[in-house]
Amino acid sequence: MSEILELKNVSVHFPVKGGLPFFSRGMIQAVSDVSLTIKHGETFGVVGESGCGKTTLANAMIGMVKPTAGQVLFKGVDLNGLPRDEFKKMRRQMQMIFQDPYSSLNPRFNVYQIVSEPMFIRGEDSEEEMKARVVELLELVGLSAEDLYRHPSDFSGGQRQRIGIARAISLNPSFLVCDEPVSALDVSIHAQILNLLVELQERLNLTYVFISHNLADVKKMCDRMAVMYLGKIMESGDSDKIFRQPLHPYTQALLAAVLDTSFDERRDQIVLQGDIPSPINPPAGCRFWQRCPKAMEGCKTVPPELIEVEEDHFAACHLVNGFPDVELPAGCDEPVDKEDVQV
Amino acid sequence: MKQVLKLRNLKVVFPTGYGLIRAVEGVDLDIGDRECVALVGESGCGKTVTSQAVMRLLETPPAVIKVDSIEFDGREIKDCTPKEMQEIRGKEMAMIFQDAMTSLNPVMTVGNQIDEMYMRHQGDSKKEAREKTVRALELIGLPEPRARANSFPHQLSGGMRQRVLLAMAFACMPKLIIADEPTTALDVTIQAQVLKTLRGMQQGCGTSLLLVTHDLSVVASIADTVYVMYSGKIVEKAPVKELFTAPYHPYTVGLMAAVPRLDDEKRKFTQIPGTVPHPARKPSGCYFHPRCQYAAEKCRKEMPPLRSLDGNREVRCHYPLTAGGESHE
Ligand SMILES: Nc1ncnc2c1ncn2[C@@H]1O[C@H](COP(=O)(O)OP(=O)(O)OP(=O)(O)O)[C@@H](O)[C@H]1O
Ligand SMILES: Nc1ncnc2c1ncn2[C@@H]1O[C@H](COP(=O)(O)OP(=O)(O)OP(=O)(O)O)[C@@H](O)[C@H]1O
Ligand SMILES: [Mg+2]
Ligand SMILES: [Mg+2]
Repeated sequence: MSEILELKNVSVHFPVKGGLPFFSRGMIQAVSDVSLTIKHGETFGVVGESGCGKTTLANAMIGMVKPTAGQVLFKGVDLNGLPRDEFKKMRRQMQMIFQDPYSSLNPRFNVYQIVSEPMFIRGEDSEEEMKARVVELLELVGLSAEDLYRHPSDFSGGQRQRIGIARAISLNPSFLVCDEPVSALDVSIHAQILNLLVELQERLNLTYVFISHNLADVKKMCDRMAVMYLGKIMESGDSDKIFRQPLHPYTQALLAAVLDTSFDERRDQIVLQGDIPSPINPPAGCRFWQRCPKAMEGCKTVPPELIEVEEDHFAACHLVNGFPDVELPAGCDEPVDKEDVQV
Repeated sequence: MKQVLKLRNLKVVFPTGYGLIRAVEGVDLDIGDRECVALVGESGCGKTVTSQAVMRLLETPPAVIKVDSIEFDGREIKDCTPKEMQEIRGKEMAMIFQDAMTSLNPVMTVGNQIDEMYMRHQGDSKKEAREKTVRALELIGLPEPRARANSFPHQLSGGMRQRVLLAMAFACMPKLIIADEPTTALDVTIQAQVLKTLRGMQQGCGTSLLLVTHDLSVVASIADTVYVMYSGKIVEKAPVKELFTAPYHPYTVGLMAAVPRLDDEKRKFTQIPGTVPHPARKPSGCYFHPRCQYAAEKCRKEMPPLRSLDGNREVRCHYPLTAGGESHE
């Protein structure tokens, strides 16, 4: 399998708003130095807590935000070096499904207008062609021609998400970013939408980026994945390997926090202390050290590199990789005082 | 067991332009002393309307409520005046909503908001109240509680705000707390913290809890008794462990199978076919029959009654999936 998308040291920083114009009060490091590759036809998962930069990363992947630094290569071409019309053409191959099926559809449009909008903007099809295509798409996602002139408010959350999917696949994209596509839906509908995504992937030969904070979904959907924390990748690679043997303490904690409906008395699991720190001034060393149950003195100041531990399994943790051969503060491998751990 | 809440035959309808919405159709609910009862079901099944009717928070109109009895702590409250209800709600019943940001006052420090609860309901002085507030914030696991009490809501993270709401709800030591989706908006790691805090406080303070949620994994981790609701009716009631080990109603079975689990097969998600009926156009017979793989002639014609089974369980199904019983398999 070959690569469809490659990120090379991508960072996205936003100036903190507020205060005087031109006077920045700092930078939100939404995505910091992220490198990864996504292969043709696979599903690549991105997991992490709210605010860790998943949506920003996804937007950078499809050229919706310009990286502050680094390169985004889609089919080998640097998206940000492209002239505008070339970029627009490229963009048609990349689409996005949004988290909130309630606010992502324009309530004043009917289903036909919503689904045909990307074709309308492209301006290559006649009215009849668009109508036929929309009907075909609706049937593909489990709706029907009867729904053409209904409005979003007439549909349930799951049906609205289907409309969003129909719209996203209308221009035959090869690369589809699903940003928490089922987070706002009930369990039973949740399964219907994920099954639909799996089916469409097989039929249309799609590559997915699947963003979620639900590890069970990611495990089932994804071939490869990245675990993010405060804008950085903590662990990445083959998802079976990561789930079989999570190396990073953060991944381990995320897994432990998955609630279970079986009663195997695992109910008193490790509960991660503290909250996610602000991405405005992230910790200098490992971004996770303040909440890490295994943090060492050196983790406070020395940032860990993302290193390939086994084939296609990367981790950024001093515990796994040891400290690098640089000048290190004395006692760097001493455990951190309990007092310091917690935000 | 002493009962804190006994709700009998609650009916709520909303007359609308496109028909009568029967949101709740004859719900009974019992909550024991120190018990955590969960009300689960898909979106639109009537969970929020039920819990708001208990708190007498539903606006009438648009809602039209009919109820035989709402007995709270031995007292009938269905005919209480709004003023009496306000008193009860502050002191003996508290509510935690899903969205912490809208339930906190954005221009007042969280400390002052909690102080006010103590001052209003326990007649404490400002100083006494602040001491209690600091202790409460410590209890919910807020680091540096004395300093953090001076934060405004927007300076706290979502998980912290949700825990501040817990501290506020518990401040007046209510008999009953109703929590509507208290962790739905939170991340998994924070959800685990908040649930642990909620369970700890509930046990520590001896409060009863009505937990409204659509998330079965949350239910499994803190509830004692579970009511499963479908399209305005209770379809199953059971102690939590029994429900999860042997669900009797096909709907409960479907709901549980749909919960994604870490040890599942790849790329296959178990789903319940079809969707929840529109509340103004409910099917004949058992409301679940169009989605039920076991549906028989009787199910299409007759609404099954909620009947008792095994002493402590109830199920609304003509052919419950009891082990070795009249199962349809
Ligand atoms: N346009 C923007 N301007 C300023 N800050 C932004 C912008 N977009 C995102 N951020 C900030 O960047 C950080 C990462 O945000 P992002 O939306 O990527 O997180 P996320 O992982 O998708 O979170 P969630 O799970 O809540 O959707 C956050 O701190 C957010 O406040
Ligand atoms: N003010 C209203 N006017 C008309 N219908 C209403 C009103 N409030 C609620 N309903 C209807 O009553 C039914 C039950 O709603 P309720 O909010 O109790 O559902 P829920 O189980 O809490 O769902 P969710 O999980 O989405 O919160 C729904 O069909 C809803 O559309
Ligand atoms: Mg996001
Ligand atoms: Mg609700």
